[in-house]
Amino acid sequence: MTARFEEVDGFGNKLYQINWLLPVLAGLLGVVGVLAILSATNGIWSQGAMQHGVRIAFAFIIMICVAMTNIRVWYTLAYPAYFGALLLLLGVELFGVNVNGSVRWLDLGPIRIQPSELVKPAIVLALARYYHDLPSWRVSDPFGLLGALLLVAVPMALVLRQPDLGTSLLICATGAALIFLAGVSWRVITLASILAAISVPIVWQFGLRDYQRERVLTFFDPSRDPAGASYHITQSKIALGSGGLSGKGYLQGTQRQGGYVPENRTDFISTVIGEEFGFIGSLALMGLYIAVIAACIRLSMQCKAVFSRLLILGLSTTFALYTFINLGMVMGLVPVVGVPLPLVSYGGTVVLVVMGGFGLMLSAHLHTGTQLPRSD
Amino acid sequence: MARRRNPKKAQEAKSEAQITRRTAVLGAGGLGIFGILAGRSYQLQIEQSENYLALSEENRFNYQTVLPSRGLVRDRHGEPLASNTLDYRVYLVAEQIDDLTLTLSQLGEVISLSDRELKRIRRDVARRPDFVPVSVKDHVDWDDFAALNMRVHALPGIIPTAGEGRAYPDDGLFSHITGYVGKANDADLAKDEDPLLLQPAFRIGKTGVEQAADKQLRGKAGKLKVEVNARGRVVREWPEPGDAARPGNDVYLTLDAPLQRFAAEQFGEDSGGIAVMDVMTGELRTLLSMPTFDANLFVSGLTQADMDALNSDEKRPQYNKVLSGGYAPASTYKMAVMLAALESRKVDPKRRIFCGGKVRLGNRLFHCWKPEGHGAMNMRDALKHSCDTYFYEISQVIGVEAIAASARRLGLGQRHDIGVAGEKRGIVPEPTWKRDRLGAGWRMGDTLNASIGQGFVLASPMQLAVMVARLANGYNAVSPSLFAGVDQGVFSSLEIDPAHISFVQDAMWSVCEEPGGTAYRNNGLGIPGLDMAGKTGTSQVRGISRAERASGVIKNDELPWKYRDHSIFVGYAPYTNPRFAVGCVVEHAGSGAGRAAEITRAVLGEALRRDGLGPHTDASSDRARL
Repeated sequence: MTARFEEVDGFGNKLYQINWLLPVLAGLLGVVGVLAILSATNGIWSQGAMQHGVRIAFAFIIMICVAMTNIRVWYTLAYPAYFGALLLLLGVELFGVNVNGSVRWLDLGPIRIQPSELVKPAIVLALARYYHDLPSWRVSDPFGLLGALLLVAVPMALVLRQPDLGTSLLICATGAALIFLAGVSWRVITLASILAAISVPIVWQFGLRDYQRERVLTFFDPSRDPAGASYHITQSKIALGSGGLSGKGYLQGTQRQGGYVPENRTDFISTVIGEEFGFIGSLALMGLYIAVIAACIRLSMQCKAVFSRLLILGLSTTFALYTFINLGMVMGLVPVVGVPLPLVSYGGTVVLVVMGGFGLMLSAHLHTGTQLPRSD
Repeated sequence: MARRRNPKKAQEAKSEAQITRRTAVLGAGGLGIFGILAGRSYQLQIEQSENYLALSEENRFNYQTVLPSRGLVRDRHGEPLASNTLDYRVYLVAEQIDDLTLTLSQLGEVISLSDRELKRIRRDVARRPDFVPVSVKDHVDWDDFAALNMRVHALPGIIPTAGEGRAYPDDGLFSHITGYVGKANDADLAKDEDPLLLQPAFRIGKTGVEQAADKQLRGKAGKLKVEVNARGRVVREWPEPGDAARPGNDVYLTLDAPLQRFAAEQFGEDSGGIAVMDVMTGELRTLLSMPTFDANLFVSGLTQADMDALNSDEKRPQYNKVLSGGYAPASTYKMAVMLAALESRKVDPKRRIFCGGKVRLGNRLFHCWKPEGHGAMNMRDALKHSCDTYFYEISQVIGVEAIAASARRLGLGQRHDIGVAGEKRGIVPEPTWKRDRLGAGWRMGDTLNASIGQGFVLASPMQLAVMVARLANGYNAVSPSLFAGVDQGVFSSLEIDPAHISFVQDAMWSVCEEPGGTAYRNNGLGIPGLDMAGKTGTSQVRGISRAERASGVIKNDELPWKYRDHSIFVGYAPYTNPRFAVGCVVEHAGSGAGRAAEITRAVLGEALRRDGLGPHTDASSDRARL
């Protein structure tokens, strides 16, 4: 076994063998983010653009470090990481800091972290490990399903309590995607879909807070509150729509300058791109995301171990969901749920988690020859 | 080992294929979602782009109302009587201030802020959105304003600005006529739908010419296209040429500002009113009420202390005495009585009537002002010496109706509508009037009182000026005018026998220029070659009690000020080719031969000097000069 570790000889050689397409694309998204934040803050570097650049660079190094670490380490750490993340969530429950009416942050002395962001890769790690160990014939039986559902449901419930509807839905969707990818039978899928359909009204009545219900309602009927919740959507559509085909030019967006779109440095960053670069800019941005996701899928196809493949696919599912929900929200297709545009929106935890996730993918791909034991 | 591995390998291969198939399913789904997003993007940014572009313009631009410059009120020579000055104001914007208390105390070191002002500022800040400027103080003087500008960088959120404010020169010497402006109140808003009235900085004419000519002075609002951000703050201005405000028109008055200033100096501390009128055109050269009040105080917002001072002053500075004052014209009414007598032809002016100091009517005694009596008096002497007995006697012959008709013909007892509010009608009493107003029958005693301008008779200084102007003119019933360039049309004829007019004029001349005349001691105009004509009047303020009559009448200057007689004088000059007529009342100043005669004489002289002493030729030349 130890001999296999020495197959990759030397640090430089190993660095060379990393699939560099993904880091390059990720770095490109980071640069787009820096430029967009710079515009959102009227060209003032010190109001986030600089910091975002530093964060991207730092996260980039973390990504490479994670990639260089043997996949066995992450394989071994899958469950401990999962339980660690759960503990942090419990910590939020007990000692969390209240920001804007919901408790999502944990103050650890100098840094503040958002455990609900950390929990997403943790769940992917745990589920990948779970299905790696689970014989394929058990995937669709009650025992196999129950284990997977528990792994997803516990953190989801904790996040929902914060309350953070967006993240808990993301966890749910990621979990569902992984269970689907693991090969659960269509019979189970059909059953689950019916159950979900029935549970929607129940959750609506008892599972949501007032402001969450209000957000969903104003999404379907923006005239309910023209200056309040739907102001976001209306103004962001105006910003995008007024951009036209080729946009108003970099740093020339009038909606942006006037400060009409709230949160345009964070969740609504794509309005800046859409207004200043128009439809062409929007398509280019989407193209970049498609390229990233395609690169991820290619990595997973080149892996052999179930753990590696599910890990990569799970993480890229999370990444894709972030992108879909954010863009859909900005264009008024999805209710406003507070999901950032990965690597472009200003925000430290998400950059670190997404880049770390890419690191995990790269590690899985780099160490695809490494034998991962199955404890059946 | 191999056996155990083989099924595992098979199983792994199976999972691998399974995952690949499922990945393809999800990948296709993802691509589909991107397709939807791209479609939505196309819809927003290509198909509906124009709509959103329009909405974004709407977001950005706003129109602000630009206040027009208010027209000036000017005198006949163009000198401003109401003008616009730069008014230095201080605003604050709450959203730019961290600690309001600290900022206000720092500001208080530069400009004084009373507790009342501080309270109002806090109230306004609490009521309005944070980004709306709140007025801290208007009418900051230049020194404080300059000092504030030096320190403004250390006071974020404090905005010193300069805007237009109304100003009245000479501390409001013309206040009674120009009136003043103020914020539009609910009553103004109900009457006038001009959106300008809603502007907080707009001022509407409240009284006087400001009110009467408000529409002309006001002008038309302009608009300014401004770019605003989401918080409504102006980022940039986009002036468009067609949108500029149209300033109001200036209004010219017939007044002669230096002459009015001169008249005010003559009054000094005294209270009363004086009107100077062109006997040919009716133009009012001076229309003064004394003391004046400072209209500027009303623009800046009157403090309670200012208000109390104005209201408690027994000289009533706010009262427009020259237009609204009602004074018994006393002996100045005698010209009307004289004309009535001459026109009725019932009295021979040469016939002498003996004055023994009193006249008995039934069981009542009517006293002449001279207790020992004037002796035998003809009509001319009666006016010259102002003998009351003579007029008591002739009034009984001619009757009060004839006197009233004569007084009305001379312009008393009626409004002349010079164009500003406040003109009083006055009273020319006769039996029908007394029955209607007092419900009592006319008694001969009333006629006797009226014959010396006492009792019910009331007139304003301006009406007295009109009366003298008509006597001086002799042909036309001249009417007063205040607004320059307003065509009066042709004055109606007085329809009085010119010989009778000359007779009255001569008698008035004797009052001023002949030894023994009641105003002779004033030495006429003091301009060589020019004579004046006039009449004194001493207007009783209170009835003399029976007790006083028994014990002897108290001397006027021993009485409290407000019970003393009004000093009245009317006159015109020059005697030949008359130019100006004056009506003057000095409240509680005693005999008409005193203060009122002094002031009239000086003002008439000054009016003539200002007019180049030239004899008056005809009315048209003067009109052409306007």
